[in-house]
Amino acid sequence: MISLPSYLFLSFALFIAGIAVMVARKNIIAIMLGIELILNSAALNFAAYTRFANDNIDGHLMSLFIIVIAAAEAAVGLAIVIRFFQIKETIHIDDAAQLQN
Amino acid sequence: MDFTISTVAPIVLLPFLAFAINAFIVKRFTTLGVILSCASILGSFFYASRIFFHFLNVYNTDYVIHKTFTWFDLSYGEFPFKLDMGIYIDNMTATMLFMVTGVATLIHIFSTYYMKDDKRYGRFFVYLSLFTSAMLALVVSENLLSVFIFWELMGFCSYSLIGFYYEKEGAGNANIKAFMTTRVGDVFFLFGILAIWSVVGSVSFVDIYAALGAGKFNGLYALGIPLATLAGASIFMGTVGKSAQFPLQVWLPDAMWGPTPCSALIHAATMVAAGVYLSLRCYPLMEAGHLTYVIATIGGITAFGAATIALVQTDIKAVLAYSTISQLGYMVLGVGVGSYNAAFMHLITHAVFKACLFLSAGSVIHSLHDHHTHAHVQEMPRMGGLKDKMPFTFLAMLCCTLAIAGIPFFSGFVSKDRILGDALLMALHNKWYWIPTVLGFGGALLTAFYMFRMMFLTFFGEPRDKDLYDHTKKETLSWNRNVPLLILSVFTLGVFYAGSLSGQGIVKVAHEKYEWFQTLIAKPHVETFTAKAPQAFGWTDEGSMTVSEKSHYDPDHGLSEEEAHHVHHVHHIGALVSIVIAFSGVFIAFMMYITRKWNPGFWVSLFSGWYRALQNKYYFDDFYIKGLIQKGLIPLNNLLAFIDMGIYDRYAVDGWEKVNRAMFTMAKWFDNIIVDTVAVDGTGASVRFFNVILRTIQSGKIQFYFIMIILVLTGYIWTLNI
Amino acid sequence: MFNDTFFLLSAGLTLAGALGVVFTKNLMHACVMLLGTLFGVAGLYACIGADFLAASQLVIYAGGVVILMLFAVMLTGGSSDQANKFGIEKIAGMGNTKTYIFAGVSVAVISLTLLKIMAGYMKTFEQGELPPLTSTVEEIGTLLVTDHVLAFEISSILLLGALVGAAAIARPRKG
Repeated sequence: MISLPSYLFLSFALFIAGIAVMVARKNIIAIMLGIELILNSAALNFAAYTRFANDNIDGHLMSLFIIVIAAAEAAVGLAIVIRFFQIKETIHIDDAAQLQN
Repeated sequence: MDFTISTVAPIVLLPFLAFAINAFIVKRFTTLGVILSCASILGSFFYASRIFFHFLNVYNTDYVIHKTFTWFDLSYGEFPFKLDMGIYIDNMTATMLFMVTGVATLIHIFSTYYMKDDKRYGRFFVYLSLFTSAMLALVVSENLLSVFIFWELMGFCSYSLIGFYYEKEGAGNANIKAFMTTRVGDVFFLFGILAIWSVVGSVSFVDIYAALGAGKFNGLYALGIPLATLAGASIFMGTVGKSAQFPLQVWLPDAMWGPTPCSALIHAATMVAAGVYLSLRCYPLMEAGHLTYVIATIGGITAFGAATIALVQTDIKAVLAYSTISQLGYMVLGVGVGSYNAAFMHLITHAVFKACLFLSAGSVIHSLHDHHTHAHVQEMPRMGGLKDKMPFTFLAMLCCTLAIAGIPFFSGFVSKDRILGDALLMALHNKWYWIPTVLGFGGALLTAFYMFRMMFLTFFGEPRDKDLYDHTKKETLSWNRNVPLLILSVFTLGVFYAGSLSGQGIVKVAHEKYEWFQTLIAKPHVETFTAKAPQAFGWTDEGSMTVSEKSHYDPDHGLSEEEAHHVHHVHHIGALVSIVIAFSGVFIAFMMYITRKWNPGFWVSLFSGWYRALQNKYYFDDFYIKGLIQKGLIPLNNLLAFIDMGIYDRYAVDGWEKVNRAMFTMAKWFDNIIVDTVAVDGTGASVRFFNVILRTIQSGKIQFYFIMIILVLTGYIWTLNI
Repeated sequence: MFNDTFFLLSAGLTLAGALGVVFTKNLMHACVMLLGTLFGVAGLYACIGADFLAASQLVIYAGGVVILMLFAVMLTGGSSDQANKFGIEKIAGMGNTKTYIFAGVSVAVISLTLLKIMAGYMKTFEQGELPPLTSTVEEIGTLLVTDHVLAFEISSILLLGALVGAAAIARPRKG
């Protein structure tokens, strides 16, 4: 039951869910939730390979750094969202279109 | 203790730090800034004392701390171009550091009393800190260039402080005058540095001494004058400007427009003495250039001439200003007659008693407040009888007056007597030296007279301005007014300078062999000193040189017994003469201003022509302004202006403009047709074309970008064919 | 037996949470669903002996990030029925048909890609004898200050930068 394929499948499912959220949702915060899902899937992959197909535990460290970076990313991203909301009074992704043309 | 640059640097850097901080905060936090300034100079004094007592412990004439680092090095092949910076501390420097920081500390403290009610109280301390830092940096400087840098910085501080009350027109004019006059000397000084550089290839004192010892200056001439003479004379001109020697003495009396504590620090104790200090540092060069007679004569003329002018001054600060010039003349005279350590000792003793005199005068001036004009009173004719009102100031001033007049057991006697004794010794060997010697002795008589005249007019007799006298409050002891006066007046006792302060720290015996000043301060050691007189000037011959070399005390290089006996004999005669002269000066003043037996008016009417000349300061200012500037500089200026405007401007500049205009027309055509139409517009058109394609995929929608990323990435993975 | 049960529970929680995040209309609920996913992933970590990772996951994600998300949601409005001056819903719950189509296409493409890769890997993979589970905390601690010390320090700088940057960006300004 606890085997590499099952972990890879779970990770795959998380990743697909994250992609779907990122593409389909129009709320910036929701998109960040999707990003968290994708990061978690990557971290889970690292941990799984460490357990089933590796001798050392460097993969755990990678997961750890992913968690750290995700935290930093969440902090900065949410700060940007709040700032965006202060200026535009919206967090709709299509309002963040200053790069257009 | 091992001193390096970093352990010596706090002496300079602490006041500079105080300056740098104060320059920004002192306007808002005045009290804090003042405390910062005082604390920094106190710290500096602490470091300086460490060095001074270290040198006393070592107690060796030749002991030198010399540390350098390379400032920049532009050497190219055979051509050396390297400048070092660093410290050069010998016994003289250590003593000087101790004196400057000590006097500066006391003056900082006194300033908190004197400047308290001034509206620019804080700014005064900013300048004081900067000045002190520059002065200390000059003292420890290792080469002439850094001396010059800090020399100019001090000049700037002096300028700012003379013009401190810039609302008054006189102050504004005085600071410009001081700055311009000293600039004349500074130009020569810079020239001297360049001359030395051209021969030695370095401006470090050590290298200069070595070059002199190796005879690098021998046989070098410029304009038919020996280069050593040229360089020495140029550097001495710097001294003349800074130390207000004849003929550039005109600025110092006007410098009294500044606040009194700054007069005490800058224009009496330290900055003006820096000129003499420079002369002493470059003494071997002066000797090699056979300049000693010129220096002695200029010193003698200054000492006597300034003393005569001081006779007729009525402003208490003006008297002190002229006495400063006169005493500086003595120092220069001492340099000229080879009395190296006596000249330096006079520098130190003078700094102490003259600082005290100025502070006392400041104390008097600050107390006398005219209720009609709301100004402080400096005129002696309105004073008199003040010794009952301010007894402590009176006592301090009396000590210093005794010192400057050359009364035995006070410091001024010790140092001045030695200079005069050495001058007498020179005069006995070379008849030409009688001129400065007699001028020196005459100046001593006048010094005793005018200083006691000042004392008697200020503190004795009946009050001449009854209203002013009655409004003056009785002096109460306050720490920041009386403590500096007390300390300085204690140090006017001769025993501190003529006693023994060796490593044991006890006063042994009043014998020359054990006097620390005599033992420690000696001429820079120059190996195999070659004194072949080039006979460029009539007055230099080998005879005078050999005498000048032997005329100073030198316990290490013993004179023969007979010579030593002769030297002592002459010095005893000199001492006797100076004592007689000092007391007769005091006596004359006493008869004129206390008993009124001799009427000063009678003497004035007898020498009415001289009196007018003295009141006009020998017409020096008139000569400089009417003669040199109006007749010489202004026509020259007009001529140069004509050349500039009429010839250069009209033909060269305007002609060039016509050429430019033609070029411009051509360039414009080229620009319009070729560059603008073809190159610029063509580029724009091509960019616009690609733009249309690219902007369609730049939708600005982040999710669109994201999808693009995913598709490209998956496409890439498919191509990998895993 | 216990391990398998725990694994199944965790996997279920993870999948349910992920699906919730994708399909919930309310953003608040989506955050709570994400919390469930994160707990599930922590459980999955625990199943394969990554005890330190599981703890970190709980502390940092559940304790920090999700709370941060909730705050952000509340600070930016919270409810979905307000419209701003452009007429767009302030809190956009979901996308529109176009985005669903795009999402479907993307998900399909990526699934195909990943499954192709995984299928090739699964065929050749054979599970050998697994070592017993041991505590990894000590080893991770050692590695962090020896082999991976550079990454460790850089991540500390990154966190500092994120801290300062977040504060600088989000601070209220005039005008």
